[in-house]
Amino acid sequence: MRITVTNLTFGYDYRTVLKDVSFKLNSGDFLAVVGNNGSGKSTLIKCIIGMNKVVPKQILLDDIDVTSYKDFIKIGYVPQKFDDFNYEFPITVNEILSASAYKGIDEDTMLELLDKIGILELQNENINNLSGGQLQRVFIVRSLMNNPKLLILDEPTVGVDRGNVESFYKTINDLNKEGITVILITHNIHESKAHFTHVLSLYNGEGVFKEIVREGEEE
Amino acid sequence: MSLQLLVAEPFVTALFSYPFLRYALITGLIMGFITPLIGSFVVIRRLSFIADTLSHFSLAGLSIGLFLINIVGLTFIEDPLYLAVIASIIGAFIIEILRGYYSNYKEISMPIVMSLGTALSALFISLSGGFNSSIYNYLFGDILSVYDKYLAIISITAIVVIGLVIIFYKDIIMVSFDETYAKLLGIKVNRFQFASTFILALVVSLSIATVGVLLVSSLMIIPVAAAMKVGKSFKNTVAIAIGFSELSVIGGLWISYEAGIPSGATIVLFNIFILFLVGFFKRFYVNRRLKERQQEIQAIKKG
Repeated sequence: MRITVTNLTFGYDYRTVLKDVSFKLNSGDFLAVVGNNGSGKSTLIKCIIGMNKVVPKQILLDDIDVTSYKDFIKIGYVPQKFDDFNYEFPITVNEILSASAYKGIDEDTMLELLDKIGILELQNENINNLSGGQLQRVFIVRSLMNNPKLLILDEPTVGVDRGNVESFYKTINDLNKEGITVILITHNIHESKAHFTHVLSLYNGEGVFKEIVREGEEE
Repeated sequence: MSLQLLVAEPFVTALFSYPFLRYALITGLIMGFITPLIGSFVVIRRLSFIADTLSHFSLAGLSIGLFLINIVGLTFIEDPLYLAVIASIIGAFIIEILRGYYSNYKEISMPIVMSLGTALSALFISLSGGFNSSIYNYLFGDILSVYDKYLAIISITAIVVIGLVIIFYKDIIMVSFDETYAKLLGIKVNRFQFASTFILALVVSLSIATVGVLLVSSLMIIPVAAAMKVGKSFKNTVAIAIGFSELSVIGGLWISYEAGIPSGATIVLFNIFILFLVGFFKRFYVNRRLKERQQEIQAIKKG
């Protein structure tokens, strides 16, 4: 998915959170969004996925204005916190994933995805028995259920142990190689083994966008 | 209404002899199926209080109905329960409007609507000549008064509700468990919410005949609360809740028949009895499993 953000300014009530942020991503690009707490990272994401209502012409998704965009199902989103999810009522990993699949993904593909993310053995487990890291990976699988063209991950490895972090970034890199555009919000760009192509640094809502030119794996 | 005064034979044979008892059982079984089905989604979305609010608002409809039929003489209304259904739906609309108005304090809509319903009820009960046996029946239910027309309405409602749950299963799961993600998937969450509150209002008002205004919410919530403790998956939990609910209907009706006590109250008490049993079972079972696990770990350490 192509994303064009032009002079995006957004705020809540009287507080401006994002000031004149601009960047452009092509299909298959991998963007790291870095910045301190309160720098506007999550606000930017909410603008892209249509949760925050922005002024027209500031964000284009595949050249369509986000204000009239209808195909948000093409975006896989993994939030940082799962506060919105009611995981105290019994529901298995399989059940929640099947309910999230709207593009007719068959069961084999779902099991493949579970295996890829390393949680195949959890498929019949009750969601409320999972640890934070396991839950995180369930939501990553969920974000992949509808063949996304854009994957947005908000600090996805918080609470995940080191071994799993490495395999997680390997999976994300592989998905990115398949042509999925990835936006990853991270606190520490050096910690992750992700193959970023671009970095957006946010400081008090102002963004600096740059392309990474490299030969090795890491910046 | 005391059952023993009416019939003096065992419950099972009486079912074959007396149509009103059959109607009562069939109505109970239908309500026993759809109330926990809807109740599960109500519990997940933390809206347990909404059923209570709507049932209180239905009472306003009932008392206005009684006033119009008995005092004003509008006998064409036939049954005040029709007005209870209308009132419940109006109550649902007011709740939704207020929830939008106080978006950060959504629960504030419940006490407002409940107070309005209770105040209107008090006013029209008084205007209808005060507290009498028909009001008592609506407050605590009188499943034996169910007649064929009412059974037909309940059956149609049940078919519609079950059909909607099957058709919109994915959407219902997504909206119930994760509203934000549901929006991303393109589900019109607000419209969906409105429709589900409307159906809830319909079912709540129709349940009044079974257990009465004051006990309606228990029919929806208690079996689900018990099933949540033992369910292993979503479908399994809903199935267990329906099982508990049906067991309460049959058990409650049976006991009320044999002991000559009110059926609505007995059904609800049976439900609570199951809830306690499940609680004890869970506690005993979980504790035993924990102990066994500790022993296993100690055995491994020693080994």
